[in-house]
Amino acid sequence: MAPPVRYCIPGERLCNLEEGSPGSGTYTRHGYIFSSLAGCLTKSSENGALPVISVMRETESQLLPDVGTIVTCKVSSINSRFAKVHILYVGSTPLKNSFRGTIRKEDVRATEKDKISLGDAQSNYLLTTAENELGVVVAHSESGVQMVPISWCEMQCPKTHTKEFRKVARVQPEFLQT
Amino acid sequence: MPGDHRRIRGPEESQPPQLYAADEDEAPAARDPTRLRPVYARAGLLSQAKGSAYLEAGGTKVLCAVSGPRQAEGSERGGGPAGAGGEAPAALRGRLLCDFRRAPFAGRRRRAPPGGGEERELALALQEALEPAVRLGRYPRAQLEVSALLLEDGGSALAAALTAAALALADAGVEMYDLVVGCGLSRTPEPAPTWLLDPTRLEEERAAAGLTVALMPVLNQVAGLLGSGEGGPPESWAEAVRLGLEGCQRLYPVLQQCLVRAARRRGAAAPS
Repeated sequence: MAPPVRYCIPGERLCNLEEGSPGSGTYTRHGYIFSSLAGCLTKSSENGALPVISVMRETESQLLPDVGTIVTCKVSSINSRFAKVHILYVGSTPLKNSFRGTIRKEDVRATEKDKISLGDAQSNYLLTTAENELGVVVAHSESGVQMVPISWCEMQCPKTHTKEFRKVARVQPEFLQT
Repeated sequence: MPGDHRRIRGPEESQPPQLYAADEDEAPAARDPTRLRPVYARAGLLSQAKGSAYLEAGGTKVLCAVSGPRQAEGSERGGGPAGAGGEAPAALRGRLLCDFRRAPFAGRRRRAPPGGGEERELALALQEALEPAVRLGRYPRAQLEVSALLLEDGGSALAAALTAAALALADAGVEMYDLVVGCGLSRTPEPAPTWLLDPTRLEEERAAAGLTVALMPVLNQVAGLLGSGEGGPPESWAEAVRLGLEGCQRLYPVLQQCLVRAARRRGAAAPS
């Protein structure tokens, strides 16, 4: 029989900072750990270190693109300076409401960066594809057929055999689902 | 003229009509000024909304729903202080958009939906009281929408809406520092003014002044305060605030149980 689950509500004082370390869904104040969500309390007992106390909700609701996460997006418009995208998936979970993002020209490659100007704070997410495993995964040629990547910077259309330049992503094997 | 058949004649004597009028507006019976009406609270009842809550206190019925977080509108605000020392400018914090609506059948007389300034003022009060409780820093560039619908106004409507909104936010999985509990008060008119906790609609109509207090019970911090009416000595208002805070603390266990029950229901419905 599973042990009885303990549910907690936002603002409920869980325990002392000496008895546990705060995990997700909690915050600390005055030396105590408080819950920040209405969900079930989980204690992960680590060997040696303090148990990590976190509050879990069944549906992963805080799905906001965070700094450093890998996202999958669809390009909505292209400009000579940047491309505007709709962020559709964060990690491998789809978003209910899509967010807007921007990929600036200088953030596409790790080399050959142009100088950026400071002071342009935008309220879109800034994305970059400046790593080997980031870049274009799916692209359609001008005839509308899905293209096949042939090198890290070229993709070929199987129907018309024309090559087009794209910065292709070398997707890690664990992300590929067959 | 005797035998006048064309006129309809009334009775010989007549009495004032008040004798026959149904006396529905009786003066409210003396009551314990610190009594709280029993509250029914239920969270997680709307399947389409991210989070929802329904609160009933006496005759006041409020339904609240939360949706989001979604991309904040208000694009491309040209630079706040650009990244000084890596601190997120205020433009990166999330936003809370509150909407308070009174159903047309909520009061005695039918009121058409655009209710004018009162609904906007109450929506602003809702936002001011809920903002300190929600961890908006965890939702950068996103906005959360809270809409409260008052189904029946039986007194202290704003307080009920505040409590329902906090329950709905917690039910939606929005990270919060604490719940917000609201409590309404009203002061009886001149001969012997006393502050009554959780007034009914009749008491509110006859009141000389009204006050709504919002408290975060665990942190013991006042989240919002809205008062109106005739002035009075400041000690009287201070006593009212104290009374309201006590009322909020008394209400907290009911809300705690409601959220735990909703979490349990959610856990049982979706076995992970």
